[in-house]
Amino acid sequence: MCALCGVFLTEVHWTDSSPSPSGSRVRTRRHERLHRVALANRILRHYGFKISDWQGNAYLLSGATGQTAVLPNVAAVWPAAEQLRKRALDPLDPHLIEALERD
Amino acid sequence: MASESTIAAGNPIPVNVITGFLGSGKTTLLQRLLRSPGMSRTVVLINELGEIGLDHLLVERVDEALVLLQNGCICCSIRDDLKSALRGLLSREREQIPAFDRVVIETTGLADPGPVLYTLLGEPVVRHSFRLGNVVTTVDALNADLHLSRNPEGVKQVAAADRLVITKTDLADPARIAAVRDVLSRTNPSAEILDAAQIGVDADRVLVEQTRDLAPLTRFRPHVGEPAAADSAQGLQHNASVASLSLALDEPLDWTAFGIWLSLLLHRHGDNVLRVKGILRVQDAAAPVFINAVQHIVHPPQHLERWPTADHRSRIVFITRGIDHALLARSLAAFSSNRVDAPTPEEA
Repeated sequence: MCALCGVFLTEVHWTDSSPSPSGSRVRTRRHERLHRVALANRILRHYGFKISDWQGNAYLLSGATGQTAVLPNVAAVWPAAEQLRKRALDPLDPHLIEALERD
Repeated sequence: MASESTIAAGNPIPVNVITGFLGSGKTTLLQRLLRSPGMSRTVVLINELGEIGLDHLLVERVDEALVLLQNGCICCSIRDDLKSALRGLLSREREQIPAFDRVVIETTGLADPGPVLYTLLGEPVVRHSFRLGNVVTTVDALNADLHLSRNPEGVKQVAAADRLVITKTDLADPARIAAVRDVLSRTNPSAEILDAAQIGVDADRVLVEQTRDLAPLTRFRPHVGEPAAADSAQGLQHNASVASLSLALDEPLDWTAFGIWLSLLLHRHGDNVLRVKGILRVQDAAAPVFINAVQHIVHPPQHLERWPTADHRSRIVFITRGIDHALLARSLAAFSSNRVDAPTPEEA
């Protein structure tokens, strides 16, 4: 519910909602989670991180130096990565945008 | 009707929020709307018992009390007073007060609308029994520029609005009203703008949500950067750091990619992203997805049954403070246009 608070006060985070009404999903839930992981890693690798699906109900955030954290949704990944790296993740960072445009 | 059966059937009661700066006519508007026959079963929660009396059966006063969460995010604070008042309505409903089918919250003039919305959308008990209707913001035609140029709360109230009601239009000349309307439409292109003098007691026009709320999204002219002011608005002060970005996107969006991007944008810049509202054309879905966020607070995305017009492009409004819109548009394009093929579960 809250993009900053992430996990707090929410049952299903809005980023986990399906693009299609229930019953008409194109991707399975598992495939959707893997797709989400692949997309989030486009941003995270710019900062030396990656996430992977953790048993279908959480995400494992891993840093290049071995730091890890288990997070319930993608929105919770950003503050966790910032805390580990002591550096802001910014979608308006021109260097990140250039890297995404080169992908 | 807020009977036990209604709530049990998962039919939450709509809660409308009426906000607006000091002296902008919130109570006067509410007083008129309460004369509508359809409002007879409405509970009104107000912060201030002002000089204008509300002759209505169900009026309760609440004290503004914020419970700041540990992360210090002000917009995501629980309004403890509202939580208690709304929970109290449920527990007392059958014994002490008549049945009700709508709640209207009138905030103080200085209220940040964020915590009100967060309480409605995030507090578990409240969320179970109530749903956010829409946000109505009153703007005084005579003092709109002062409120928008000098008061951060006034700007947030305008940005959070689904309906903007220009008040005191009987005291302002037509040129002034046109200038105010122009400034408001540039500040918040996603809101319907109404003239208080023309509303009468038509509560439905002000408080009933959804269908009319989509209309402004289908009408705006896409732009990056501050749109040119109409001639009538030249010289009218407003907060120059607050501006809207209106995008129309031809290509269908990957919903997952958009969600990841928006969650990071709101995480990093939510204090200055005052509003995001849009209808999205998403891949693999015939009907659009409606999104609505006020600062860090994101409403649950809704699948609409159909497109409101023949234009099936994604249309999104961002209202921001001090953010480079060209960079924002470029960031969205960079992240959403380069698709990543996810591995299949078998490949992973």
